[in-house]
Amino acid sequence: MKKLLNVALGVLTAIGGFVDIGDLVTNAQVGARFGLSLAWVTLLGVVGIIVFAEMSGRIAAVSGRATFDLVRERLGPAMGMANLLGSMGVTLLTYVAEIGGVALAFQLICGVDYLLLFPFVGALVWLVLWRAKFSVIENLFGLLGLALIVFVVALLKLGPDWSQLGHSAVSFQPPKPEAWSTWAYYAVALFGAAMTPYEVFFFSSGGVEEKWGVKDIGVMRTNVLLGFPLGGVLSVAIAACTYVVFNPLSASVDTLGQVGLPVAIALGKIGLAIALLGFVAATFGAACETGLSTGYSIAQYFGWQWGKFVRTDVAARFHLVLLLSTVIALGVLATGIDPVQVTEASVVFSALALPLTYFPILVVANDRDYMGEHVNGRVLNVLAMFFMVVLTVVALAAIPLMIWTRMGA
Amino acid sequence: MGDRFHEPYDAVLHLLDRQVIDRDGLLVCKVDDLELAETGEGALVATALLAGSPALLPRLGGRLGSVVREYWARMGDEQADRRLPYRIDFALVAELTSAVTLTRPRHGLLVRTPGEDEGPVRHRLGDLLQMEVEAPEGKRRILDVRLDERHRVRSLVIGHGRPGAMLGYDEREGRPANQGPALVRAIVRALHRHAREVPFGQVRIDWEQHRVRVA
Repeated sequence: MKKLLNVALGVLTAIGGFVDIGDLVTNAQVGARFGLSLAWVTLLGVVGIIVFAEMSGRIAAVSGRATFDLVRERLGPAMGMANLLGSMGVTLLTYVAEIGGVALAFQLICGVDYLLLFPFVGALVWLVLWRAKFSVIENLFGLLGLALIVFVVALLKLGPDWSQLGHSAVSFQPPKPEAWSTWAYYAVALFGAAMTPYEVFFFSSGGVEEKWGVKDIGVMRTNVLLGFPLGGVLSVAIAACTYVVFNPLSASVDTLGQVGLPVAIALGKIGLAIALLGFVAATFGAACETGLSTGYSIAQYFGWQWGKFVRTDVAARFHLVLLLSTVIALGVLATGIDPVQVTEASVVFSALALPLTYFPILVVANDRDYMGEHVNGRVLNVLAMFFMVVLTVVALAAIPLMIWTRMGA
Repeated sequence: MGDRFHEPYDAVLHLLDRQVIDRDGLLVCKVDDLELAETGEGALVATALLAGSPALLPRLGGRLGSVVREYWARMGDEQADRRLPYRIDFALVAELTSAVTLTRPRHGLLVRTPGEDEGPVRHRLGDLLQMEVEAPEGKRRILDVRLDERHRVRSLVIGHGRPGAMLGYDEREGRPANQGPALVRAIVRALHRHAREVPFGQVRIDWEQHRVRVA
């Protein structure tokens, strides 16, 4: 019974944890402009993150090694360092976006400008990273993030033309006035939002934090296989909601408030309150995860003690990195840069950075030296190689598309 | 996975850059480099793990490595031991699996290497790996260094590319023959089809000139 409860908890937190500021903003923008014509990208991204997270989670369970341990072991110190710089750049950018996202969500609740709020949000995030237990960070915000299910309810209440939605989902081409290049650019952004690198840094390091062993592989798989697809459903529901409300008006989504507007229309104040709770929980949880990921990755590269499973003074350098990352993130936000724009950039750079960490994980997941009998099976390897190719193509296309379409303008 | 420390192993693939863990499971450092000592009989034997920035930075390679190493030393110009890495003697190693486990707790564990003039002539594996190899077939690089169960250098694997570039996909006894994914295996093996193992007896290392000659 207790085990079943644990599995359920894991699945629920995976659902809530899947959605962050990148998913909220990108899905809403894509929904308003392209309907569900890019829903297949979310599907692809969900399958991709399942493959990636399952491999890294299994490695963590069998060998006790997290992502950046393996990056350096397989790629050597020089390539590992280049990889670390790239991945940390993207993760810090995401950290900025998440903290900004929490502040924007609070602005929607209390009306105080986010520029006055973000220093407090940053301090609160740091306090949580410093004091709170790992299980609290993982479970509490994941569970509260489930409030975003309100988007599914709102979609049902809005009563869209389901055949039109379905047709949009299988059209595989941009709707009328939009260009192919813009469509492709948003496909890359959506893919990066679904498969953000920090999710895997956090997932595999979290496995070590919770002292997973070989016997936990089953539970880990259940979490991944149920939680991430249901999180993907939330993403598609957000896109469908904004499609129904904004597309007839030919309006675009530029603020977090507009993301929540369909819920307010469908379900009124109560619905909006639940959506805002979901926004705060999802972005706050993701802020903690990205913050921790910067510490995890740097400490794993240099071999320092890391993790919340030891006292803070035992992992002093790890906590120093967390503090510095938070200070840097707040410094970036203090320039007055729009967090929504930071989010747009972060999801595209995420897509760019993915193959760097995916490849070493793929190699180690096949290495009997580490994995014994738990190496990848044949079917998984075919799927994993398919995603290796997809990730490479997406990464190569990201920057040219970004320049060509002027960030999807 | 079993302990590799007491059987033959590949220095780059199995030991370099692995996590070092103390007796109680706390993390200590990475295996940033290995110390190689010359024995009287002309053999080369690995004797210690090296750690810390003075060991890691030169391994970033080529000009970049020496430049950041200089900057690192300059940041503490007054410190005599600024360029000396920390040393963990092999006697402290309990086992080598996906990490290196030590026999004692980490508190006060790391001591810097003694200076140049004490003990036998010592080198770093990282220096050896960056040397150019003059083989009969042309200029090559060292891909890995194979040690026997007593940590003596048994052979070098030479070919094109960087150390560790074969990612464990090389064909030989003791390695799983069919490590997947098949496509990655095929590509890595094709890229390194000319790589070969050279017994240490056929190798002359010139530490002054940074050059390795293969007879």
